[in-house]
This record gives sequence, C-alpha cells and structure tokens, in this order.
Amino acid sequence: MSDDKRDNDVLLKVENLSMFFGKGDMVKKAVNDVSFEVRKGEVFGLVGESGCGKTTTGRTIIKLYDATSGNVWFDGKRIVAGTKSYYDEIKAQKARRKQLVKDGGAQDQIAACDEKIAQMRAEIRKAKYDHNHCDDDFRVEEKKRIEEKFTELLKDASPEEAAKLRKQMRRELKVAAHSKLVTQIQMIYQDPVASLDPRMTVREIISEGLIIQGIRDKKYLQDQVYEMLDTVGLVHEHADRYPHEFSGGQRQRIGIARSVVMKPKLIIADEPISALDVSIRAQVINLLNELRETMGMTILFIAHDLSVVKYFSDRIGVMYFGNLVEMTDSDELFRHPLHPYTRSLLSAIPLPDPDTEKNRVRIRYNPLLDHEKTDEEPQLREVCPGHFVRCTEKEFIAYRKQVSE
Amino acid sequence: MAEKKISVKNLRISFRTSNGKVQAVRDISFDLYKGETLAIVGESGSGKSVTSKAIMGISAGNAIVENGKILYGDKDLLKISEEEFHEIRGDKIAMVFQDPLSSLNPIMRIGKQLTEAMLLKNKTARKESRKDMSEMLDAMKRKMDDAGVPDAGSYVSRFRNMEKTHAKLESSYTDALELAKEASARAENILTRLANDREMVPSGDMGGLAHAGKGSIDYFVVRDRASEMKAAADSLSSLRREAIKTGDNTKLSAAVQKIKEIADEAIAFDVPNTFTLGCYLTFVDKEIPKTASVAELNKLTREKADAAFITEFMEQAQKGVKQSLEETDNNRKAALEALRKELPVFTGEPKREDVTAAVKRLKPVVAKCINPLEVVKDSITHTFGSSIDYAVDKYYSGIENNKKEELRYEKQKRKHDALTAKGKAPEWSVIPAGLVDVDNLRSDMEGTITELIMHIEQQIEANRATNVETRTLEVVDFMKDTEQRAAYRITKSVARERAIKLMESVGIDNPRRRYKQYPFEFSGGMRQRIVIAIALTANPDVLICDEPTTALDVTIQAQILELINRLKEERHLSVIFITHDLGVVANMADRIAVMYAGKIVEYGTARDIFYSPAHPYTWALLSSVPDLDTKEKLESISGTPPNMIYPPKGDAFADRNKYALEIDFEEQPPMFRITDTHFAATWLLHPNAPKVDPPKIVMERIAKMKAKRGESNE
Repeated sequence: MSDDKRDNDVLLKVENLSMFFGKGDMVKKAVNDVSFEVRKGEVFGLVGESGCGKTTTGRTIIKLYDATSGNVWFDGKRIVAGTKSYYDEIKAQKARRKQLVKDGGAQDQIAACDEKIAQMRAEIRKAKYDHNHCDDDFRVEEKKRIEEKFTELLKDASPEEAAKLRKQMRRELKVAAHSKLVTQIQMIYQDPVASLDPRMTVREIISEGLIIQGIRDKKYLQDQVYEMLDTVGLVHEHADRYPHEFSGGQRQRIGIARSVVMKPKLIIADEPISALDVSIRAQVINLLNELRETMGMTILFIAHDLSVVKYFSDRIGVMYFGNLVEMTDSDELFRHPLHPYTRSLLSAIPLPDPDTEKNRVRIRYNPLLDHEKTDEEPQLREVCPGHFVRCTEKEFIAYRKQVSE
Repeated sequence: MAEKKISVKNLRISFRTSNGKVQAVRDISFDLYKGETLAIVGESGSGKSVTSKAIMGISAGNAIVENGKILYGDKDLLKISEEEFHEIRGDKIAMVFQDPLSSLNPIMRIGKQLTEAMLLKNKTARKESRKDMSEMLDAMKRKMDDAGVPDAGSYVSRFRNMEKTHAKLESSYTDALELAKEASARAENILTRLANDREMVPSGDMGGLAHAGKGSIDYFVVRDRASEMKAAADSLSSLRREAIKTGDNTKLSAAVQKIKEIADEAIAFDVPNTFTLGCYLTFVDKEIPKTASVAELNKLTREKADAAFITEFMEQAQKGVKQSLEETDNNRKAALEALRKELPVFTGEPKREDVTAAVKRLKPVVAKCINPLEVVKDSITHTFGSSIDYAVDKYYSGIENNKKEELRYEKQKRKHDALTAKGKAPEWSVIPAGLVDVDNLRSDMEGTITELIMHIEQQIEANRATNVETRTLEVVDFMKDTEQRAAYRITKSVARERAIKLMESVGIDNPRRRYKQYPFEFSGGMRQRIVIAIALTANPDVLICDEPTTALDVTIQAQILELINRLKEERHLSVIFITHDLGVVANMADRIAVMYAGKIVEYGTARDIFYSPAHPYTWALLSSVPDLDTKEKLESISGTPPNMIYPPKGDAFADRNKYALEIDFEEQPPMFRITDTHFAATWLLHPNAPKVDPPKIVMERIAKMKAKRGESNE
C-alpha cells in the first residue's frame, strides 16, 4: 500500500491527543500525547491495564471530554481540537521576546516572536471554532449535498414523482438540520446492565437516537428497530420488553443494536465483553465480527483481555500510563513485542494449558529499571514499517538491531 | 492420598420462589484435599456460588437443603448450629468475594477493617477460655473431693495461680522473641542500605526498628542489656536527623549495629521452660535465679518446682481423674441400657407424645455420660439434646406440611381443570406439590439414637484402654493451653503490627502508610489484596475464592493468582476457586469440577480436563475462549441454560449440545469413570455410544499443547 492511498483510507486520525484532569500541581495526565490512525474497515485494539487512559482516549474522541491539546480528525474533518499546546508555545515565545528585549537583541528576531505569537493566536481561534462548530459546518454541507441531489433528480421527474421526491427531500433536510458529525461515531459500553435505561423498552432504547435526529415516521422507526433486532440476533417480540428481562449477552446485543442503528462509520467499543460470562463472550465477539464483515464497520476496540484483542483486531496499540508505548499489526505485536511493558503484558495472559502455565514466568515491568536513565523524552518511533515503539534514540537503535536479527 | 479437608456428598439445594422450587444444586459430590486447589468452573447460574455459600453457611434465606452432607473435620456443616458455625466461619473457612469494592466498607480505614476481626475474636476467645478453665477446675475439685482428697480446693486454687504466672511469662516471652527477630532482620536491612548507597533510610523504617527493639527488651535473657537496647532504640530518630544534616551516618550505623547485636544475642539463647519457671516464681522465690545458661536455669526451676508443688499436685489430680473416669463409665452403661430400651418408640409411625416423653427421659441420662474432665469434647453426646429435638420437630412439621401441600395442590388443580374445561387458558400454572420425604426424616430421627448408641459403645471400649497417668497429663496440658489462650491478649498495637505484616505478605508496598488509608485510595488489584489479607487474619485452613479476578485486568489478575498460589504454599491452605474462565485455572488448580445446571458434569485433575476433556460442555467452554493462535470463528454455546424450576428430564445440556444423542433427552447420564481421577457425566462415554471427537478447535489446541510439552521434555 502506498503512502497516499493509506492517507485516503484513514477514517480516524488522532494527533498528539492529551487529556489532563485537574489544575496546577494536581494535574493528572490521563492521556499524554497519543497519536494513531484508524483506517476504514479495520479493527484497532487499544490495550493496557486499568487506569492507563484507554477509556479516556475513547471518550475524548467522541467529545465526552474536552481535549486538553491535540487534534482528532474524523473523515477528513477536525472534530476535536485542544489548545494547550498553542498556549504553551505563546508563553514560551513571550518569555523569549522579553529576554530578547532585555538583552537588546536584533529587531527581526523580536518581530519573528511577535509573528509566531499572532500565528498561534490564530491557531487557537481556529481550533476553538473547529471544536465547537464542526457540527454546524457538517450540517451546512449535508444540506447542500441533499439539495444538489434532489435538484438533479427533480429536473426530469413527472409531477407525481416530483411531489413524492419533494416530500422525501423535506424529510432528509429535517434530519440533516439535526445531524451531528459525532453521531457517526457510536459507543458500546462495558456494563450492559448500567448502560441501558431500565424504564425504557427495547424499542425506545433502540429508536431513541433516531428520534433525537428528528425522525417521527413511526413506520420507518419500527422497520429500523426490527431490522436491528434481526441483525443482532434477537426476535421482534423482544422490542416491547424491558432490559431486566434479558440475560447479560442479550443486553449487550441491545447495546450494540442501539449504536449500530445510527449507521455509524466508527464504533468505539469500550470493553464490551469484560463483564460477560465466557460462553456469552464468544457470542458477542462473533456478532461484532459479523457486523464488521456485513456492514464494513470500523471499530476502535478497547479491552484488557489480550487474547480477545489479538483474535479480533487488525492492529493493536498498547497504552501505559497515558502514553502509547507500542503500536503495530496484531500478529507482529505478539510475534515480536519490543517494548518491555508489552512483553510483561503478554507474559501475564493465562492459557488453558496446565503444564506451560505451571512453568510460566511473568515478566514484571518496572519503568525505572527497564529503561536507562536519560533526560531524553522518549518518542514514538517507527522501528520497522508499521511497527511503532515509544523509545529514546539509544533504545531505538537497540530495537532496530533486535528486529533485523 | 492427602487428607480430605472438605468432603461434599450428594448435596442438593433448591430455592423456594413464588414460581415454584428452583433446583440450584442437584446431587453433587466432590472432595477438597489438604493443600490442594479445587476449581469449580461453570456459567453464571450453574450453582457454583450456591455450593460455596452452603459451605460457608451463608445460604440465602429461601434456600432449602434437601439432601446431602458437607463434612469438615468431624462435623457436618449442614447440621451444626449457628453458634458452632461461628467458630468455623472466618476462622477455619474464609472467603474472598468477587467485587473488592463492595466487599470493603467504604467509610472505614483499611487498618480498622483488618484488625477488627482480630480484636473481636480475641475478646470472645479469651472470655470463653476463662469460662472453660474455671469449669475444668471446678470439675477437678469436685472429682478430687469425691475421691477423698483432703483440701482439694487449695490444690486447685494454687494450680490456677501458678498457671496465671506461667501464661503471663509465656506470652511476654514469645512476643519479645518475635520482636527481637524482627529487630534483627530490620537492622540488617537498614545496615546494608546505609553501607551500600549511603542513602538516608526513611523515618518509617527507623520507627519500625525502634519499636521492635524496645519491644524485645522484655525478653528476660537480655535483661542485663535491656538499658543499652532502650538507649540505642531511643537515640535512633535523633541520630537520623543528625545524619541527614551532616551527611555522615557512622553514628547511626553504630546504633543500628548495636541493636542488631543485642537482638541476635537474645535469639541465640534457648527458650526457658516457662511452666517450671512460673511455678518457681509462684511458690519458691519472687526473683528469677541467676544462672549461667538457660539449660541450667531450666534444670534448677524444674527441681525446685517439682519439690514445691507439681509432684504432689499430680498425685492428687490422678485420683480425681480416675474417679471421674469410673463414674462416667458407670453412667454410660446405664445410658446405653436406657437408649436401647427407648429405641422401639422411634420405629413405625410413632405418636408425638410418646416420642417427646421418651426424649425427655433420655436427655438427663445422656447428659451424665459426659466426662467433665474430658480433653477432647465429644460432640455427639454434647449435641444429642438439640439434634434429637431438631429431628423430631422436622419429622412432625414435615407430616403437617405434606398434608397442607396436598390440600393446596388439589385445590389449585381443581381450579385449573375447571378453567381449562371452560375453554380458557389460565395464565398461571399449577405449582407441583412440594412434598417432603417423611420416611427419610423418621429414619434420621432413629438414626440419631442408633448413632449415639454406637458412639457410647466405642467410648466404653476406649476408656478401658486408657492409662490414668497419661490422661492426667493430658488434662493438665489442656488446662495449661486454656489458660494460655485466656491470657493471650491482642492489644490494638499487637493487632496493628500483625495487620501490617499481613499487608506486607500480600504484597502491599509501604503498609504503614497504607494502613491509615480508605478503600477508595486503593486500585482494584490492591483492594483485592486487602480483601485476601482480611480473609487470612484468622489463619484459616480453607479459602474459598468466588471469582476473585473477574473484575480485574490481565496483569493484576496474574498478580492475584500468583499471590493466592504463594499463600497456599506458605500457609498450607486448601483453596476452592470459583470462576467462569477456564483459562484462569490452568495455572493453579489441582482438580477441576465443571458444573452445569446444578450438576457436576466433569470432574478430574487439571491435566485430565485440559488435555483430555470428555464432556461436550467442557469442549464448548474450551472452544469459546480465543487463544493467541485462534483465527477461525469461535464456537459459541447457543441458547440459554434451562429453567431450573422444571429441570429437563434428560441431560440438562442436551438442548444446547451439538453432539446430543437421543438418549440425552430421555435419561440423565450417570458419572462415567474414565480414569481413577477423571469422571464425566455424558452418554458419549457409554460403550454403545458412537465415537465422537471433540470440536476441531479443541483438538488442534490439545495437539499443539502436546507438541509444546514434547519439545520442553526433550
């Protein structure tokens, strides 16, 4: 695959995304400078132990949190834009300018600083606009697209057909007026019990999103609900039941139906199987796999169970304390894990084999011991094509050597 | 074969609900061996938690134990009273629950939660021991009086005084020795750190050393050097401050070295015989005699104590013990006669008045059979009264209940039939009559008597062989132990130290600081460690873990599993490990029981289950988990578990089973024996059954594992 083609295929692009909680000394860096890309139709797995920021990453992408800095591009549009990095730059430039003035530095250098500050301010304005108005722009575009489509159609239509088409156009325009770019990303939550409203029937749960979008056509809603129930392997009678009448696996299916009904381009599945029994897990994984094949869904799969992630994902990113430490194809990751943390994770997977299990040695990861002490901030580097590891320059060379062997 | 810790036999538990009786556990049997891990694996609702809760005696209120036994030691955990259970639950059998957040109290500090049980248990244990001791002494005095020993009271009271001194000495010495050992270990640790890195040791560690050092000065052998120890321990913190200021830690090292020397010296000495020493201090002299070595001291005190009191006391006590043995022997013979005479009352269809009258006559006779100077309490005689009352009550209430149930069933059925005759389809169905097996209950009642008869016969036989002298020694030893328990006082600080040690042993860093924190300040894995530590406070022999890692992620899960394994080795625990994930147990289980719909469908060692699984349900469980090489579609188990109000006639798994034979829908398969350790309940193992191979995914995996094993063997 050439590089250009790769870029065209990218559905979700996360650029230096950071999400900090708290202020001043108490700041918690839940996600720190994470970058990755998810291509159309692939499953990208995000793994790490609890508290490493994988869920926060998912939630920041879907704008449940306002990112601290960094960008998220979805389908070519910027939907999330943080500003902290620009403010930091302004601060640095201001300090530099002050120093230059004090030292009596060259005029052009001061001018360069001013220019840089102005540039950053413009960036901030742009970022804020994009962050808050991406949906408005999207709506305008949608409207334009629909109008164009129908004027084309209306040109050579008979009067009766034209009336019908106009009606359809009005409906689509209404939906477009309520539409949001972010609804094309849907989430599946971990706990099927807590994520479904106990006072709503399955029909209400599944159609809620469509109703919010402005669809009032009862017939259309019913068709959609039934279609979704078929897709996820439930029967039509289930539509009028309440969530508590279902088993764990069936509830998770309802959760999946609720997100798939919005026809999303990307699904963020946040540990969808961790709370389920083993026998039900297989059902849900198979269902997600089918959806992916039939509907060409792209999935960002967040989990801590590595054997499932391996089975399900095309590419995997490993997170450790807010940082992405390794990212590559899933086979490659399991064959040649490079980062010591990944190796420790892999060594912790329980296997259904008593003899090897009894001799298993778990590798412990200690960031202070496993890395040489340097002042250099480690960065994500491409060790071999498609295989990224967060490392320092020196480690990078060592990894390369390791790979070539 | 190792000793059996818990043995479950034909256990059958159901739940009374408004829709009828849910049969949660149906006829399961398994054994838990000492030092082994038994894993119970199954889906939710398969009855694994119900079983474990029955073992803990915390079944839900609507649970009915229909049949079966849970034998722990010589007790049947399903029959004993709640009071008796207090001594087992938590003390002997402890439990770790699934969700570490909800099993800790959010508004109590961790330290308090860890020490709470220790303090409370200690308080009641002391109270009970004091009671036991005075009962024993009273009995001794009575029997000595009966045997014609002059002034029996003074012997007993003198013995008690001596025991008090002894117990005090004993506990203070063991504590001090423990602390001396700790001080030595800590000092060594600190010394190496001071020598190697020249880094400053944190004040917490210094505090620990000072505490241990000061605690150990009671240890009497180092009394000469007690003041030195105290001075060194006191100076630690100021020396540390000084060392930080000047950057020179030679003085600090010297002080630590000094503590280590003194502590080591104390450890090197033998432990003095506190019993004779106690006697010496009570009757001979108030001061501890100065001798060159502990051995000499022991010899000296032994001689003096024997001369002063012990020999004489033993002689007189023997008389009392002999008297008591003879008396109980006669009483037992009388009781045996009475029991045999009353036995016919309980056969046939006895009337309630007759039975209660007979029980009333029997109770005092049986009560006399108890030897007051018995060391091992014989539980059958002790509990005869309550168990016979219980059996009688159950039998007659069972008869009444059956009558009522039949009436209700008839009425409901009539109503239902009438409605259906009218052509209506009633929404409700007739609940089947919950009849109790009355014959069984009656034989239980009779069994209580026959069991007692056999038991008393055995005891008479055993008494004949008893040597009075050894028996007296046993009695005195027992009194020593009881007094010791009464004197063994866990203060808050002792409990604190012990809790901190426990926290260290379950792998919590910096336990002194963590001790004061609240549960929300811990991560999931740490919380589960705390829960395990709490379960271990009472030093149980059996640990039941109910899905302890389900809520945790992979690395933490691996750590917790390793921890449980390590603790099992260290403390010789027997573990029952309940989980739905077969992958988890490969590492730790010695034996595995796979449960489905309240039945054990396969039972065997870990190797049996993983390398040659025989039941289709085990295959399904194994193939529904992807491993690192899985590429093809996973085999999920279709359908849902059966409704246990109306359990299926044949094999419960038949509906969801791809390999089901016709007979599976007709008849329940028996447990087929595959090897001596491996059993499975599936008709596929019948000689006439067609040969069926496990699913491809399982076969491949086993082949791969075998290949891997072959490689590692070469």
